[in-house]
Amino acid sequence: MDLNHPLLASAVDLLPPFPSSHPQIQRLDRSLYCQICKELFSGPVSIPCGHSFCSRCIRGSLEVMKKCPSCNEPASEGSIRRNRALEEIVDSWEEARPIIHGLTSNNSRKRSIMNTGPKNAFAAESTKRPRKESTSRSVSPVKQSSDKKEEIDGDADDMIALDPYTNMAESSEDVKASCPLCDITMPIRDISRHIDLGCQPIKPRPKSQGRENLKADWKKVFSGAGLVKGKDVELKKITKPNYSLATPAELRSVLQSYNLSTFGDKPALAHRVQEWILLYNSNLDTSHPKSLGALRAKLNEAEASRRRDKEKGREEMASELKTSDGLARYAQDTKGEFERLRREIMERDKKRVGSGAEAPIEIE
Amino acid sequence: MSLPKRILKETERLLADSPPGITAAPKDDNLRHFDVTVAGPDSSPYQGGVFKLELFLPEEYPMNPPKVRFLTKVYHPNIDKLGRICLDILKDKWSPALQIRTVLLSIQALLGAPNPDDPLANDVAQHWKDDEKDAIAEAKRWTQQYAQ
Repeated sequence: MDLNHPLLASAVDLLPPFPSSHPQIQRLDRSLYCQICKELFSGPVSIPCGHSFCSRCIRGSLEVMKKCPSCNEPASEGSIRRNRALEEIVDSWEEARPIIHGLTSNNSRKRSIMNTGPKNAFAAESTKRPRKESTSRSVSPVKQSSDKKEEIDGDADDMIALDPYTNMAESSEDVKASCPLCDITMPIRDISRHIDLGCQPIKPRPKSQGRENLKADWKKVFSGAGLVKGKDVELKKITKPNYSLATPAELRSVLQSYNLSTFGDKPALAHRVQEWILLYNSNLDTSHPKSLGALRAKLNEAEASRRRDKEKGREEMASELKTSDGLARYAQDTKGEFERLRREIMERDKKRVGSGAEAPIEIE
Repeated sequence: MSLPKRILKETERLLADSPPGITAAPKDDNLRHFDVTVAGPDSSPYQGGVFKLELFLPEEYPMNPPKVRFLTKVYHPNIDKLGRICLDILKDKWSPALQIRTVLLSIQALLGAPNPDDPLANDVAQHWKDDEKDAIAEAKRWTQQYAQ
């Protein structure tokens, strides 16, 4: 077994680690990983002790034990709260990570950019990312308060602008491509969102065009037009049934109300309901929720792959027992077990009949 | 095979950079089943020995602990003759924040710090309590005989 195993090859880390020459950045990066799944937080939530995990991870963990995986302090599902600040940090880190990674692994290039100076820092700042109003606004007070900081920020922005990754992303604003799943043509930047939503058509995002539009947007917010009515009803968390008391019919009706398969015996139904509630409820803890269709597909995929594993194991066993070699091996492996059973039976019979009786079982 | 990303990541890291004195590699036919070796810690009766273990990741991992068992015979109050290990983090103290690496390091630490007050092998634990020196000598003999 080596690193070239095909299954491991597919797992090659999408996020390359930072070099050890930058321990501070390594630490920052590490602190944004969930302790349970060891991935960047997705839909992070906090529990009373203050530790944070992905919603899905901690919900799954609390089903098994009602305590914090990090510090063992008691915790329950009802105490889970969304951690929006952490989510925003992870989102922006995900965007910034490739850029910073490029900088840490290419020191010489960094220095040459530093020398070209931070002259046009503000120009870069004002023209970039018109959509991300909130982030640039939160940065600016810091810039004004200290000149030193401004220089550093300026450098960073300069480098961002020079990075081939972002350049590509910005110039591809209007480039179109077809979705790998459904072949509908759309702008490249919309494709990942389109796939996340389960291949639904994406409405073009309104581009903010200066003050006029801003004003109109605010008007909409104040008049309440931005709120989608009826959304609250749909976005309620599912209450868990009592799995030991619920009848199969009740479980089926839960599954039916979400358009899920109602096939299987009670344990299978309960397992499906449990997993669905986990997926569904954790999906409500993120700002990038998936469509119900995507959740359903995920549930089905997990179930199918579990079934495949089980069948594979059974087939292997059956095919092994067909060959005389395999049969011999099986006999060898389970010899101890047979011996033990035989001895036990002999002793039991001896006790029952009395010391004078012969051992009634003879096995060659 | 359905293998969570976390298991693949852990495996990758174990293969690329394993903790000192510990090796762990999955079997070719089942990536949830690991062959493990642990070197006996220095200044313990197990020093110089290399102990084979098997580790299995159940389907519920990491919500449930991995199953670990010694394959090499060990004379230790917390390890019975079937190789089963009495270690809190493999049972009620398990947490999904732990991983294969931390489990194996804990097992190595357990070799260095036998605890006869929480025994699994009662006769060994009694031996340890009655005559620690003799028990340690016995453990050394076993290490020489079985763990080379």
